[in-house]
Amino acid sequence: MHIVIIGSGVAGVSFAEKYRALSADDDITLVTREHDGYYSRPLLSRGFSKADIEQTIILKPFNKLRENNIKVLCDAEVTAINRADKSIVILGGQALQYDKLILAQGSSAFIPPPFRLYEKLFFCLNSLSDLKALRRFRQGFLDQNQRPDWAIVGGGLIGCEVASDLAVAGDKVTVFHAMDRLMERQLAPEDSILLLKVLQNSGVNVLLNQAVQAFSREKDKICVKTEATAGFDGLIVACGFKPRNELAELAGLETGRGIKVNQQMQTSDTSIYALGDVAELPNGKLYAFILPIRNQAIWLAEFLAGQQQGFWTPPVFTTKAKVHGFEAVHPYNV
Amino acid sequence: MSDYKKYQCGVCGHIYDEAEGDPDSGLAPGTLWKDIPDDWRCPECGVEKSEYALMA
Ligand SMILES: Cc1cc2nc3c(=O)[nH]c(=O)nc-3n(C[C@H](O)[C@H](O)[C@H](O)COP(=O)(O)OP(=O)(O)OC[C@H]3O[C@@H](n4cnc5c(N)ncnc54)[C@H](O)[C@@H]3O)c2cc1C
Ligand SMILES: [Zn+2]
Repeated sequence: MHIVIIGSGVAGVSFAEKYRALSADDDITLVTREHDGYYSRPLLSRGFSKADIEQTIILKPFNKLRENNIKVLCDAEVTAINRADKSIVILGGQALQYDKLILAQGSSAFIPPPFRLYEKLFFCLNSLSDLKALRRFRQGFLDQNQRPDWAIVGGGLIGCEVASDLAVAGDKVTVFHAMDRLMERQLAPEDSILLLKVLQNSGVNVLLNQAVQAFSREKDKICVKTEATAGFDGLIVACGFKPRNELAELAGLETGRGIKVNQQMQTSDTSIYALGDVAELPNGKLYAFILPIRNQAIWLAEFLAGQQQGFWTPPVFTTKAKVHGFEAVHPYNV
Repeated sequence: MSDYKKYQCGVCGHIYDEAEGDPDSGLAPGTLWKDIPDDWRCPECGVEKSEYALMA
């Protein structure tokens, strides 16, 4: 049997390793557009306060997987799934047959429609290549003994984490948040206030109830337009994530917010499964955190190896904002 | 010995059990938390030892 996996995040890699451990004979091929290896996405939010992050963020070089008899095709963008002949197409033309296909393409940054016009003006922090681009941009200022002045649009989990890390690294940061409190989806109101104080104490300027309308470039500044207009050196949009549904949609699989799966992680095609940020369970939920994703991936590997029956049920898990100096008092809402 | 302790990574939920160690990163079963070098990192998300908390 040939199992093909698309994506080398925690979902794809955990599945590949577990399946390999359970089945010595089947062929496993992991196809990914990544180049540098399997890296930790949570550590992206520590990408500025740590000098050696571009190395330490790599949890496993691809060769480590190859040593484990997992075939890895890297720098390989999958452009289509051909369900009729059970193959995928890789950019450049190569096709690859599968018996079972595991979709683990994860998520990209969600860009609210009004901002899509200005894609050239802002950064996101969703992948290692985003982090590298941000670090290069920032280094340009440091090389001239300057500190960039940042605007971050979005006061959710990632916006707050990045704001905190840039401030701790010594930069000037302003956060624009649409709601009247930070991380309103995950935190109790009391904790939002605590978080606000922690960020303010580390020098972050937090602006709440902000209706950001547009961006523009004025000379060497990027302007954020609300009721007023303010200029910054760099702009980061952190407004949530969006499952990468495109391949599944093109192939006619059922999708909603994510790729729809049943409680055995199977899509509407019985040879195709989905895991991680891209998978939407029958209860309408996406489990976009490391712990439940690893749990899903291991469950599916066991299931396909014949060592698991029944349904995947989510484990108990929580999260934690990686804001320097912040500890929530109440449990997070996940 | 039954007084081995468990520590949990606050970022990804990984559990370090002193009884089991973490052979993949060179920590033999029975390696106590205090004996793990400071540059050891969570095998699942890469954060530092300081992000772990003792489990009740
Ligand atoms: C900044 C940040 C901080 C976070 N912090 C935490 C945290 O503290 N705790 C926590 O539990 N979770 C955290 N998360 C969420 C967690 O990282 C994700 O839920 C998890 O990484 C998702 O894993 P995945 O394998 O589903 O997808 P991803 O990690 O997105 O991996 C998908 C992979 O597929 C590849 N790919 C996509 N499309 C194609 C294609 N067409 N062809 C080839 N390859 C493709 C991508 O390159 C990527 O390697 C954070 C996320 C971010 C962005
Ligand atoms: Zn961890």
